[in-house]
Amino acid sequence: MIQNEGLERIQKMLREQGYITEPSIVMSVFLAMELRKPLLIEGPAGVGKTEIAKVMASALKTDLIRLQCYEGLDATHALYEWNYQQQLLHLKMAEDSGKTLEERERDIFSEKFLLRRPLLQAITHHQAPVLLIDEIDRADEEFESFLLEVLSDWQISIPEIGTVRATHIPQVIVTSNRVRELSEALRRRCLYLWIEYPDFEKELNIVRNKVPRIDERLAGQVCRFMQEVRKMRLEKVPGIAETLDWAMALSALHIDHLDKELVESTLGIILKDWQDIRQAQDSLSELFEKVGAISKLDNL
Amino acid sequence: MELIRRQASLSANIVAFCRFLRQKGYTIGPQEEADALRALEMLAPFGSPDSLQLCLKATLARTLPQQLLFDELYAHYWRELEKAVDSKVKEGAAEKKTAGKGRQQPPAVQSIKNWLQGSQARETEETATFSTHEAMGRKDFSAFREDDLWEVIRLIHRIARSLALRQSRRRKRSRRPLQLDLRRTLRLNMRRGGEILDLAYYEPARNKRQVVLLCDVSKSMDLYSRFLIQFVYAFQNAYRRIETFVFSTSLYRVTNRLRQRDFGIALDELSGAVPGWSGGTRIGESLDEFCQGYAGRLLNNRTVVIIMSDGWDTGNTELLAESMRAIQSKAARVIWLNPLAGSAGYEPNTLGLQAALPYIDIFAPVHNVESLRDLYRHLR
Repeated sequence: MIQNEGLERIQKMLREQGYITEPSIVMSVFLAMELRKPLLIEGPAGVGKTEIAKVMASALKTDLIRLQCYEGLDATHALYEWNYQQQLLHLKMAEDSGKTLEERERDIFSEKFLLRRPLLQAITHHQAPVLLIDEIDRADEEFESFLLEVLSDWQISIPEIGTVRATHIPQVIVTSNRVRELSEALRRRCLYLWIEYPDFEKELNIVRNKVPRIDERLAGQVCRFMQEVRKMRLEKVPGIAETLDWAMALSALHIDHLDKELVESTLGIILKDWQDIRQAQDSLSELFEKVGAISKLDNL
Repeated sequence: MELIRRQASLSANIVAFCRFLRQKGYTIGPQEEADALRALEMLAPFGSPDSLQLCLKATLARTLPQQLLFDELYAHYWRELEKAVDSKVKEGAAEKKTAGKGRQQPPAVQSIKNWLQGSQARETEETATFSTHEAMGRKDFSAFREDDLWEVIRLIHRIARSLALRQSRRRKRSRRPLQLDLRRTLRLNMRRGGEILDLAYYEPARNKRQVVLLCDVSKSMDLYSRFLIQFVYAFQNAYRRIETFVFSTSLYRVTNRLRQRDFGIALDELSGAVPGWSGGTRIGESLDEFCQGYAGRLLNNRTVVIIMSDGWDTGNTELLAESMRAIQSKAARVIWLNPLAGSAGYEPNTLGLQAALPYIDIFAPVHNVESLRDLYRHLR
C-alpha cells in the first residue's frame, strides 16, 4: 500500500534488520528522520519500542547511545560528572610540581577529567548517533523538563568549562510505558507513535522470522496461545520477547505441537509473576479450548 | 497549473482539518501544522489515500487517546466535506432554476457547519470517555464493581509511587562516614591547595515525618480503609516510620503483618485474624487503648496521625473526646478522613464526630482516588 520512495526505503531498511513492521511505524520513523524530530514511542512493555532505536542505529550505521531512565535519575548521571578520584590523584601527584593554585585548578577541571554521561556523549559524538532515552516515565518531572531544555537547545553548559554545543544533532527516540503521564511540552516536541501488542499475523511473522526452524503448526499455536493469554488480567502481560523465548525453547526441544502438560511445565517462560502463573494454570483448559478449537479448524 | 491548484487546496484542507481537530480537543499549534505540511511535502505525490492519513496521524496525534480517536475523526471529516461539496454543486445548479425563491441554506451545509464547529459540551464528553483514569479518579470507591477494584488498586499504586519517588532522591550532608561526597570534599580542600584534610559525607535525606494510621474497619469502612492503607504504604520508604492500627470494637496493631509484599493477601488474612473486623465500632475505647499503650512511644512533634472513620459510634463519646485531646497535644497534626465527607451537603453531625471535631487539624473526604492524591499534600 505504501508507494513512496522514502517510505519504501525505510521499510526496506527495517526489514533488512529483521524488524517486522507495520505502516504506522514506517511512517513515524520516516517522518522523525526527515523532520529531524524526536520520536516518542509509547506502548505496553515488550512490544519492541526499544528495538526500533537499535534497528535504526544499525541501519544508519551509526552508534546507539542509550540513557536508561530510573527513579531518581539526575543531571550527574545523564549529562556529566567530574572524575573526582582522578582529580584527587592528580592533585596529589602535582604537589611538588611548583604550579600555582590557579594552574592546578585549571588542570583538574579540564576535559580530561570529565566523565561524559549519555546526553553529553550524544551531542559531542563524531557523527550523529541515535540517542535512545528509555522509559522516560520512570524519571521524575524535573528530569523531564531538564531533558526538554537539552532537546531544544542542543547545548549543555558546564560551569567550569563553558558551553558545549552539539557537533551533530542526534536522532532521538524516547520510550515510555505510561507509568506516568508525560508533560504536554515534551509531547509537543516529539512525534508520537503508539505500538500495541502485535496481532496474530504480525506475531506469527515475527516468530517465523526470529525462530526460522520452528515447526509451522507449533508457531501458529504458540502465537494463538499468547493472544489468548494477553486477554487475561495479568500482573505482567507477556510481550514479544516472551513469545520468542517460548518459541525458541519449544523449538529447541523439537516439539511440533502444544499440549497441556507441556504448557504447564513451561509457563514460567512467558509468565513472570507467581499469581499470573496460578491464574493461567487455573484457566488452562479454557485457554486450550480456545487455542485448540481454532487450530482444529485450521487443519481441515 | 492544475497540480499547483490541487496542492494549494490540499494545504487549505489540512489547515481546516487542523482547526477541526483543535475543536475536538487536540492540542495543535502552528508547530504541528507546519510539521504536517512539511511532512506532506516530503511524501507527495501520494500513491494512496492511506499514506496521507498515516502521515497526518503521525504528525498531529500526540497522545494515546488522540491516536485512538484519529481514524474515526479523519474519516468523518472527509466524508462530511465531500457531502458539503456535493450539496454546494447542487445548490449552484438549483439556484439558477429557482432564482429568488428564498435563501434557505440546504440542510447538508447547515449540518456540516454545526458539526465542524461542534458543540462544546459534546466534545468534552467524547474526550472524557477516553481518559478512563480520570473518570476512575472521581468515582466513589464503593461504586466500583468487584472486577474493577483491581484496576483501582493499580491506579492507586501508580499515583502513590510517583509521589513517593519525588521524596526519595534527595541527599543531605552527613557527619557519619557513610558515603563520601567527593564533589564537596574536593571543593572543601581546593582552598587549602589540594591537600586532603577534611572529608565530606552524604546520606539519603529522608522525610522526617512519621505516620500513624488508625483505621476503622467496621462494616461501613472496610473498603475505604483498605484503599487508604494501600496508598499510605507506598510511602514506606519515604517516611521514617509508618505504624498501622485497625480498630472496630477494640484496637489492633497490624504494622508487622503488613510487611508483606502482597497487600491483598495480607489484608485478607488480617480480616480473618482480627475479631470484630467488619463489625460495629467503638472509637472512643479504641483510641483510648492507643493512648494508653502506644501514644507515648509513637507520637512526637513529627508525627502525623491519620484517623479513618465515619464517626458512627456506639461507644463512649466522652472517652473519644478525651483521647483525641491527648493525641492532638502530642502529635504534629491530626487528620481525620471520612469517606462520607465527599458527598455534597454532608455535615459532620454524628455524636462521635462532634466530640472529636475540636481536636482535628484537617478534616477531609477520602472516597475516591482524587481525594487520596489530595491527602498526599497534607502528608508532605
